[in-house]
Amino acid sequence: MIKIEDLSFSYNQKQTLFNELSLTLPSGNIYGLLGKNGAGKTTLLKIICGLLFPKHGKLKVMEMEPKDRYPQFLSEIFLIPEEFNLPSLSMEYFVRLYSPFYPRFNHSLLNDCIYEFRLPRDQKLSAMSYGQKKNFLLSFGLATDCRLLLLDEPTNGLDIPSKSQFRKIVANAVNEERSFIISTHQVRDMQNLIDPIIILDEGKIIFYQDHEQISKKLYLFRQTEIPEERDVLYYESSLGGYTVVKENIDHMESRLNLEILFNAVVNNRLKMNEIFKS
Amino acid sequence: MNLSNYFKPSRFWLLLKMELIRSRKGFLITFVVTFGLLFTGFILENIFSSSKVFDSHTGSYTFFLLTGGFILSSLAFSDLGNPLRRYSYLALPASTFEKFMSMWLLTCIGWILMFTVTFIIYALIANSAGHFFFRDVTFRAFNPLENATMIALGYYILFQAIFLVGAVHFRGFVFPKTIFMLMLFGMICGFIFYLIMADIIHTADQCPPGYNPFEEKSLKQFWQVVSRFGTWILAPLCWVIAYTGLKELEV
Repeated sequence: MIKIEDLSFSYNQKQTLFNELSLTLPSGNIYGLLGKNGAGKTTLLKIICGLLFPKHGKLKVMEMEPKDRYPQFLSEIFLIPEEFNLPSLSMEYFVRLYSPFYPRFNHSLLNDCIYEFRLPRDQKLSAMSYGQKKNFLLSFGLATDCRLLLLDEPTNGLDIPSKSQFRKIVANAVNEERSFIISTHQVRDMQNLIDPIIILDEGKIIFYQDHEQISKKLYLFRQTEIPEERDVLYYESSLGGYTVVKENIDHMESRLNLEILFNAVVNNRLKMNEIFKS
Repeated sequence: MNLSNYFKPSRFWLLLKMELIRSRKGFLITFVVTFGLLFTGFILENIFSSSKVFDSHTGSYTFFLLTGGFILSSLAFSDLGNPLRRYSYLALPASTFEKFMSMWLLTCIGWILMFTVTFIIYALIANSAGHFFFRDVTFRAFNPLENATMIALGYYILFQAIFLVGAVHFRGFVFPKTIFMLMLFGMICGFIFYLIMADIIHTADQCPPGYNPFEEKSLKQFWQVVSRFGTWILAPLCWVIAYTGLKELEV
């Protein structure tokens, strides 16, 4: 679905954000794009949907070049940015104006999502709360039946019931033809939703693995004493003890903790690379 | 080459309809202000003027067609001025050509048609009201097909293209920025023109009576080139610049 080869991008001549970035993302997954602030997550999403142009390298999304911004491409991709502006129109009017641009727009799915999120139909979009606007955009994006949905910090500003509704709706919406890329800091909200995990750091993909591989290669556990440095990839103190990440030599089963994984990858990049290469 | 990647009539119609609905407030405000000013000007002129013949419709038409149209054209692509709205405009599934054409059609042809029709109605109402209130004044009817009106339309199409370039390239305060750039460009052109033609340009006291500098052979040829460029090349060139600017635009 997405093929990036040796992509370079910079906002100005002095600072290069991506240098020879390569990544292949097949369809049918909910990709989790994680990274520190300024790592380039939002920029990468914007490049994928053709809102920013790469300086060098190749980028194909659904066999098309995003830079061309052809209507056929734009109708197959939907970006929900972290910050957005909705026009001062009623929900119904917005749908009437914008939905015809998407050839497979599913009105009944939109109605279902609006019902699930309990969105007020009679209110103008601009008068809705931030979370409601976000839920409406997600509902609209899903109803477009596009093949790629890019969500930038989708759970920011959502209340607790909306977060679980969000997870439920997204999990049900993915299929072999469709993919999601979710860029987020709220890893706990996405714990059981995103797979594979992509970690972006200093403009490079430093980690790209699915849950199965992570469970196979890493062992996460808790202990009360400070772990010995030897063999430990990463540890951090938590309530009543320490959470430790080790290489899973003994094929133990453990529960994935994305926050710990992220810190382990960022703090011990070389060792992680070795483990996942072997 | 897949033509539907560039233009599809049904999609273009959708976009045009959407733009018209979205910009209806802008259109309405421009119309109300324009015709409000026209009526006010009409009344004041008849109160304070001693002339027995009212013949200002063509002049008013030209002035407000150009001013209102240029302001409206500066408001085109207003989504591009807001970073949050820019992404949704660029990500809307329509081609860049359709996005450009819809704006051009609305601000150029659309404005001309709507303004002219409304002005005809205004002139009829104003003349009737004038006959009633100022019985000793003769009110000339407005003829949209007269030569001066046609020339005004030509100038509008020509210069509106420049404001469309401004609408694509400037973020905020498009109208004053475009006017400033036009003045700067005019000054630079004037300076270059003076440097090239300084030898044959005479000061006022050197000119014999009835002397027209544009009758000078070299100046006449130069002026013809400039005039043809202005008439036939400037507007299409500006359209291409505006379209390319829109195509290359990033968030």
